[in-house]
Amino acid sequence: MKMAMTTSVRLIALLAAGMLLGLGTAIGAEDNPPLAALGPPPVPADNPMTPEKVELGKLLFFDTRLSGDASVSCATCHEPKQGWGFSNDISRGYPGTLHWRNSQTLINSAYYGKLFWVGAAKSLEGQGPAAAKGAVAGNGEADMMEVRLGFIPEYRERFREVFGDHWPKLSNAWKAIAAFERTLVQTDTPFDRYMNGEEGALTDQQKSGLELFQGKANCIECHNGALLSDQKFYNLGVPRAERWEQEGLAQITFRYEQYAKGVTEEMYRTIKDDAGLYYRTKQKADKGKFRTPSLRYTIYSAPYMHNGTFWDLFEVVEFYNEGGGENEFASTKTDIIKPLDLSDEEIEDLVAFLESLSGDEITMSTPTLPPYAPLPAQ
Amino acid sequence: MRATRCKESFKRLALALVVGGAIIGVSGGAWADEFGSVEPIEVDAKKAELGKRLFFDKRLSGDVALSCATCHIPDKGFGDGLALSKAYPGSEGFRNTPTLINVAHKGTWFHDGRLGTNLNDVTREMLTETYLMNMDMRLMQERLKQDPVYVQMFDEAGYGEPSNGSVRKAIPEYLKTLTSRNAPVDTGTMSDAAQNGLDLFTGKAGCVACHSGPLYTDEKPHNIGVPENPEIWNDPRRHITFATFGIFMGIENYMNIRRDPGAHVRTHKADGTDIGKFMTPTLRELKQTAPYMHNGTVATLAEVVAFYNDGGGADPNKDPLIKPLGLSREEQADLVAFLEALSGDALTGPEHVWGEKIPANYEPIDNWVEVRN
Repeated sequence: MKMAMTTSVRLIALLAAGMLLGLGTAIGAEDNPPLAALGPPPVPADNPMTPEKVELGKLLFFDTRLSGDASVSCATCHEPKQGWGFSNDISRGYPGTLHWRNSQTLINSAYYGKLFWVGAAKSLEGQGPAAAKGAVAGNGEADMMEVRLGFIPEYRERFREVFGDHWPKLSNAWKAIAAFERTLVQTDTPFDRYMNGEEGALTDQQKSGLELFQGKANCIECHNGALLSDQKFYNLGVPRAERWEQEGLAQITFRYEQYAKGVTEEMYRTIKDDAGLYYRTKQKADKGKFRTPSLRYTIYSAPYMHNGTFWDLFEVVEFYNEGGGENEFASTKTDIIKPLDLSDEEIEDLVAFLESLSGDEITMSTPTLPPYAPLPAQ
Repeated sequence: MRATRCKESFKRLALALVVGGAIIGVSGGAWADEFGSVEPIEVDAKKAELGKRLFFDKRLSGDVALSCATCHIPDKGFGDGLALSKAYPGSEGFRNTPTLINVAHKGTWFHDGRLGTNLNDVTREMLTETYLMNMDMRLMQERLKQDPVYVQMFDEAGYGEPSNGSVRKAIPEYLKTLTSRNAPVDTGTMSDAAQNGLDLFTGKAGCVACHSGPLYTDEKPHNIGVPENPEIWNDPRRHITFATFGIFMGIENYMNIRRDPGAHVRTHKADGTDIGKFMTPTLRELKQTAPYMHNGTVATLAEVVAFYNDGGGADPNKDPLIKPLGLSREEQADLVAFLEALSGDALTGPEHVWGEKIPANYEPIDNWVEVRN
């Protein structure tokens, strides 16, 4: 009874929505959160923002002492000049290693519920330490990183002021970095201005692209809401990274990841591609699935996809136009991805629209970092 | 095993002494009962050879900057010649690198004696500790599997494919080959001064109270009042390493103390009387392994002997065995001569040193998609 009523209410709502949008547009997309201008990011109640915390977080973000050999910082793989990511298909790794996935832009990372390509971290506060400790990322050890902070007089002062720490606590370092990252947002793109009523913010070509995005190309099925991401996980059939076939260092990390993520021995022996969400859930149906990324700031964050296999937005749109690709996880490929039959002009329109999702480049120079000093006896 | 081996070698030694005594005279005969020589340990040649390559391979550290041999240098008696050791990049050490010669003859390792199990555990500690080699051994295993030379060597050694477990067996197998050779004390070729020194060692100077057995150590911790090395507390990178170690070892108040607690990390006595105890080191190969003491604060053997002659340093927990000795200058020189007679050949030949180039890069595996990982 209740079910039936809910269904009929929903049907009426859908009909009404269809009338507002204009019939015939966005077939199958009625349930998707509408595209929207981006508001301020959510801030967790246990880590409120203050200017002092953000300033501390900025210093820590650039501080290489938060890694094993004090040679890499957050900014090493999330480099402001490289779209706050790393401009290669696969990210660089800790010295002596290569990573195995593309480094994502940090711009607007504040809006994701979970971080990393398969949502392995539940918050920005949880993402930092995971990256800083991983053997092919920061290879840092928590106790040593914490002790290092204690030998930097300026940090002792700042942690005391911001967190009330007698000695800087590493957990608070991650909080400060997360607070800093929540300032790395962009809410004034041409698209945002358009959604806020500035009709001329998009060109006619971009408006056509927007229509395709919500209509014929059906991008909105997954790239929806203000972030242009449903934050869900899909296998599009992105082909495996070529470097795994070509580079010894890449093969080492590939196997290491299988080992470290605890797959079965048979899977370790036979797998030749990144199983994505499977590593978290260990459900076969999740093999090869990755989280829908936001499409914001993408003009600065090439290359694209979890393994950086596409070098520009045209390649990405063409990939979708062909109905995605094939990888070894064929059985989990999403049905949403079908050939789109877009003309060359339509592809150009769609790319033009995607470009409207980026505003000015967000730049930042590396701050001067406070030095160590001998610790006087207490 | 070890006990049996020692017993047998003792018999052999006794026999050799009878013969040797007849040749060189019997003035030093008393030491036969006290000490003994270190006997070579039988090893599996292929496992040891594999362990040797691993020992010299920088790819066994997190950022591929150091190998075991970076701090345990063959030319320096498998120590490093520094007062305080280096550490993983970004850090510096807070103790003196001990020699690895005869390391497989020991039963307890590290200056604080915190491992008393086996060299497998010691190897793991050295590889994985954040301020040592900072190696995720899962990554290490995959690096080794990428090197066809290792794939072959592990297989031929009977280990199957490269694994971190086998690394922790192969390196100890190599370490077993690092046994002292041809020290005058063993070959019966000590000078008269050294013979006098031996008498002092076992007599007036009382060194033998702690420096006993074939390695000249009781393998127990003692506090002899070695002063702190101020460099540890003045250099943040050393002090940070110490404090980090303090967290790992459950040292209370680790940010505020300015004293290396030594064996206290093992015994944790509530009254703190074990603070400042360090394991009696072997006296073999001292000529190759200056400077001395757990923190490298004593540069020469003459200074070491002078330190003991003065009754050691000042420490409330100092071992009562340590008292002023009243040795003359000549007696001190004789004691040094004896200590020098405990050093043998440098282990710097191909038997102990990996001579071939070890590649820094990795070739891709052919036909990667088709072959099993």
